[in-house]
Amino acid sequence: MHALTELESAFRSLSGDREFEKELDGILKDYVGRESPLYFAERLTEHYKRPNGEGPHIYLKREDLNHTGAHKINNAVAQALLAKRLGKKRIIAETGAGQHGVATATVCARFGLECVIYMGAQDMERQSLNVFRMRLLGAEVRAVHSGTATLKDATSEAIRDWVTNVESTHYILGSVAGPHPYPMMVREFHAVIGKETRKQALEKWGGKPDVLVACVGGGSNAMGLFHEFVDDDDVRLIGVEAAGFGLDSGKHAATLTKGEVGVLHGAMSYLLQDEDGQIVEPHSISAGLDYPGVGPEHSFLKDLGRAEYYSITDEEALEAFKRLSQLEGIIPALETSHALAYLEKLCPTLPNGTKVVLNCSGRGDKDVQTAIKYLKVE
Amino acid sequence: MASCYGQFACNIVQAKLGSSNTTPMKPMRVISLALRSPNETTKHETFTSNNIVITKKSLTKTLLEAEERESAGKGKFGKYGGRYVPETLITCLNKLEAELNLVLHDPEFQAELSTALRDYVGRETPLYFAQRLTNHYKNDYGQGPEIYLKREDLNHGGAHKINNAIAQVMLARRMGRKSVVAATGAGQHGVATAAACAKLSLECTIFMGSRDMERQPSNVVLMNLLGAQVKCIDGSFKDATSEAIRSWVGNLETSYYLAGTAVGPHPCPTMVREFQAIIGKETRKQAMEKWGGKPDVLVACVGTGSNALGLFHEFLRDEDVRLIGVEAAGASIDDGRHSATLARGDVGVYHGAMSYLLQDEEGQILGAHSIGVGLEYPGVSPELSFLKDIGRAEFYTVTDQEALDAYRRLCRLEGIFPALEASHALAFLEKLCPTLPHGTKVVVNCSGRGDKDAATVFEKTTAGLANHKTKST
Repeated sequence: MHALTELESAFRSLSGDREFEKELDGILKDYVGRESPLYFAERLTEHYKRPNGEGPHIYLKREDLNHTGAHKINNAVAQALLAKRLGKKRIIAETGAGQHGVATATVCARFGLECVIYMGAQDMERQSLNVFRMRLLGAEVRAVHSGTATLKDATSEAIRDWVTNVESTHYILGSVAGPHPYPMMVREFHAVIGKETRKQALEKWGGKPDVLVACVGGGSNAMGLFHEFVDDDDVRLIGVEAAGFGLDSGKHAATLTKGEVGVLHGAMSYLLQDEDGQIVEPHSISAGLDYPGVGPEHSFLKDLGRAEYYSITDEEALEAFKRLSQLEGIIPALETSHALAYLEKLCPTLPNGTKVVLNCSGRGDKDVQTAIKYLKVE
Repeated sequence: MASCYGQFACNIVQAKLGSSNTTPMKPMRVISLALRSPNETTKHETFTSNNIVITKKSLTKTLLEAEERESAGKGKFGKYGGRYVPETLITCLNKLEAELNLVLHDPEFQAELSTALRDYVGRETPLYFAQRLTNHYKNDYGQGPEIYLKREDLNHGGAHKINNAIAQVMLARRMGRKSVVAATGAGQHGVATAAACAKLSLECTIFMGSRDMERQPSNVVLMNLLGAQVKCIDGSFKDATSEAIRSWVGNLETSYYLAGTAVGPHPCPTMVREFQAIIGKETRKQAMEKWGGKPDVLVACVGTGSNALGLFHEFLRDEDVRLIGVEAAGASIDDGRHSATLARGDVGVYHGAMSYLLQDEEGQILGAHSIGVGLEYPGVSPELSFLKDIGRAEFYTVTDQEALDAYRRLCRLEGIFPALEASHALAFLEKLCPTLPHGTKVVVNCSGRGDKDAATVFEKTTAGLANHKTKST
């Protein structure tokens, strides 16, 4: 508890600190490669035109172009800087498929911090190349064997480590989940996505986006895009979760659609649980959406009716993966593909000229092996 | 061949300096010679160290004249370059050249290209101050150069290749072509071309050597996903290039041959350089913003030379900016299995242009070898050959092992995975930095990201560790 209070007050004091902001801005620009472009997807827009030539305009917020290939680094870089300010020399994190682990190990290398990544033993086997990457970056990767030896178990181990070593160690949580102040902090560090989008929309068409679409696993990329516009009632917010094999199959990760309220990893939120309150093992073809919980702020926005949440199956996501690759020459992450897949259902309902901004939260190089298995592309 | 070169060099000296040969050597030349290892002597070196004495003034004049000659449509850089192709291709190349000249001055095309570079490719790429790498090169007194990385690794597709690919696909579409054909080595150019073709709705066929397909399989999958057809050719990049050109010649009306790098018949080297020159232009602007001056030294890896020329070209006439190209020495420069065309090659004609190339005594092209697949080409850009001859740019080599070490070093110190090609440029810093005065501004072209190479590095590392274990048990 004390550690969380300390973290919160440090965060609040740094939020107003111009030196900190300037340093962070410099790193986001020169190291991460921001601003990420707001790209008009001409061929995708064509694809959604109705026979009378009408349809929405699709823009992609190119978080896939960031250093390390996803939005994750925005938060990792800011938290590493925060940790340094706090005088911490050691960083820990949990990771599922390895993306957040690689992002964390990356910033630790950049800032010269000691780094320990907790990863489920099962995940380590499936992602040996990511494990190697983390080690090349100088991180120690610790196998977690408890439970199902996957992400939620790695998260529990990481929390345990942090509680033990809180004096020297900062825990970089990868998403807008976990105990306060993490959901707020991670959202704040990703909010640059939405801030840039507002500015770029004004430059490009002199207005605001009409609809924002993003995939939701833990919820960080979605909150990063939405947060700036939460008070703009004329901007529609749409989150897309993973329906895995289908909502009725029991093998999905559609927390907001099928979950119930409970407490997981230190926060109250919607989660996938059985009648005994045991956490259900989620499933999605995309590792990053494969999480049984969701950020508490999303739960709140859903209950308020401010944001809408839908879900997309593995198959629909794979189709969307292929579609963007062939129409725009951009290979999206399988997570992002869920948001892209939802356009198939959304666009026919939108008036002509509606401005849709979709968060292209990551690139799909990491998913090609998975994709070709299913798409039978040789 | 050697005597032809000799005569050429003599002509330059006589034309510019009359009979004087007492002008002192530039300090730059002394340092560059000192850095060469005792084993690395070529006939060109001994020649230059004794006879070539080019003053500051004549170097600028030489460059200016060369520029004029090039823009007059001859496509020659000194005696290098040109158009050694069958008649059937001349008309086509003329058309291409005419179109190139049009688009370079067409504000509409330039505006569309700028938008694509900004919103699709993700430019400008940052000029990143590598603090920890800089610290690594500080001596015991805390002195050393400042290392900046030009982050071409952040481009869409992960390398500088897309700058050229997107511009040329736009050009192809403008010319009414329906399909694009290209050859790729490591696959980066193939991926960039496939991506650009998908975006602009052109058919795409990529030729790739079987050897390369084995070593960079992830890139093959990417090309397929992007909708391109990948044709496997027995051999490596040079064989894929020959096939691609053959295929193009069979379809001159409807297909467009997309040169990925600055080799080939005129106007290809010029065109590729022009489209890559954005790298250097941005660097000048960013250097001015960051430290109010110019870079002192530019370093880039050289396979064929497109990323190097992209960085260097802007600064050719700034003689206070040193230009350093780093080639691949493979396992070792002396075992004959390398890609060090400028260090060890001789002048000849290959794929339509005159340039340095790796050839045996009978003029047969030798295969090139490097752990950096994209550096494996037995030829090199004619423009770089020219810059070497007039002493404007210096060229060195780095081994596979040194490149691997540099890859790991950048990961550990800066959290950036450099492509194994770019790792060659980074490796050269180990030799270069100790010779540089305190505060020298060094810009290294980080021409690509190394995700594609992680598996190779993994293999080499585990193999290395296994060897070590076997030795110690």
